[in-house]
Amino acid sequence: MHGKAENSGIEGARLAVIPGDSGVWVFIFADMCAFAVFFLLFSVGRVAQPELYEAARQQLDLQLGLANTLILLTSGAFMAAAARTARAGNVQGTLHNLLLTLGVGSLFGLSKAVEWSAKFNHGIGLTTNEFFTYYFVFTGIHFLHFVIGLGVLLVLIARVRDISVQGGAMDGASLRWIEAGGAYWHMVDLLWIVLFAMLYLMRAA
Amino acid sequence: MESKVDTRYWRFCAWMGPLFVAVFFYCWGILGHNFPPFAPDTPASEVAGWFRDNRDGVRLGMVIAMTFAPAYGVWGYALAKVLEQAVGGNKPGDNILVQLARVGAAWTTITVLVPTSFWLTAAFRPDALPDWMIQMLYDMAWLLIDLAYAVTSVQLFALGVGFLADKRAVPLIPKWLAWYGIWVGFMFILECVMPYFFNGAFARNGILNFWIEFIIWMVWVPALTFFALKAIKRIEQE
Repeated sequence: MHGKAENSGIEGARLAVIPGDSGVWVFIFADMCAFAVFFLLFSVGRVAQPELYEAARQQLDLQLGLANTLILLTSGAFMAAAARTARAGNVQGTLHNLLLTLGVGSLFGLSKAVEWSAKFNHGIGLTTNEFFTYYFVFTGIHFLHFVIGLGVLLVLIARVRDISVQGGAMDGASLRWIEAGGAYWHMVDLLWIVLFAMLYLMRAA
Repeated sequence: MESKVDTRYWRFCAWMGPLFVAVFFYCWGILGHNFPPFAPDTPASEVAGWFRDNRDGVRLGMVIAMTFAPAYGVWGYALAKVLEQAVGGNKPGDNILVQLARVGAAWTTITVLVPTSFWLTAAFRPDALPDWMIQMLYDMAWLLIDLAYAVTSVQLFALGVGFLADKRAVPLIPKWLAWYGIWVGFMFILECVMPYFFNGAFARNGILNFWIEFIIWMVWVPALTFFALKAIKRIEQE
């Protein structure tokens, strides 16, 4: 369909760095459960010490939190577009959308670095109080998810780029990987939205 | 002509995993007062007093726990044999994932043995040791066994990624279990904040850093063994 695929043997051999399938949903489900426990712990703590939680919440930078949310939502929209173009068999479009997902998403790392450094410069750290313990641990674990997500995006981009260079067509395995990677990326997105609401927005007292 | 895989002793070795968990849970956990552990903010006098009163139980527990620590490594090697069959290829034993799965299991054995000897030291002559020193030994053992998580993560990731590479229509080990193992290895990272806390969810006895972390790992071992035993049967029939 899309010209000859001379080195088709390369598929599956070199590109299957991370083999994938629907089992990724087990990871996502287990992770959601872990975050559910995090949220529960936070809620219990907030009920016990509403004034402390409210005072600490007001020290967070709402604008940066909102910027983070918009960054991830925009990046998530490009990811969804990548899945759509991949299903339509549009290799170039998929590559562009994945690159945009990565490019926009990377800004989240920058913004998080700015936010955390500001906290450390104000003498606020992991053990300042219970609110900030949860803030740093939960956003830290989320950040780790984000970094892994960037790695997944890079693998997807390399895979689609190779298909593009060879002039090949989108294959089933690549499509499955883009969808699985997309599901993961949306989880990163979703978890942040819940974290944002819980840490930055909800008034405790 | 492909020769049949020699699976002798595999089952025996695979059973060492659940055996390790059961023995370790009772000897290290119950006899050694580690399941759950003393909270880090427990007064030194209380920890020391408990060791003095229960020295015989702790010694028995730790001696048996140390004796059975290699069982984890033996189990890990059995799992690596199954992994060889999952990754396939000409020389699956040379596959880096198989090697990492082996070495991750072997290293984990060391990270179980060494801290166990610290608890044993605390129970060896507790009357001669000041309270703070018994507390220090107890802390040191906990800091080591928790913070050595990354060693076990090597095994968890290698087995997880390797089992996902299985090309069979019905893989030897279910993909959900492979993913679960990867997730457990990943969740262990929470241990990094453990040294900062004396109470609460992230302390060594906390809901996250003790209850959830230990249980998700202890469940993984027998679950993987169950499917590995089924996989061995299939390998023999293939």
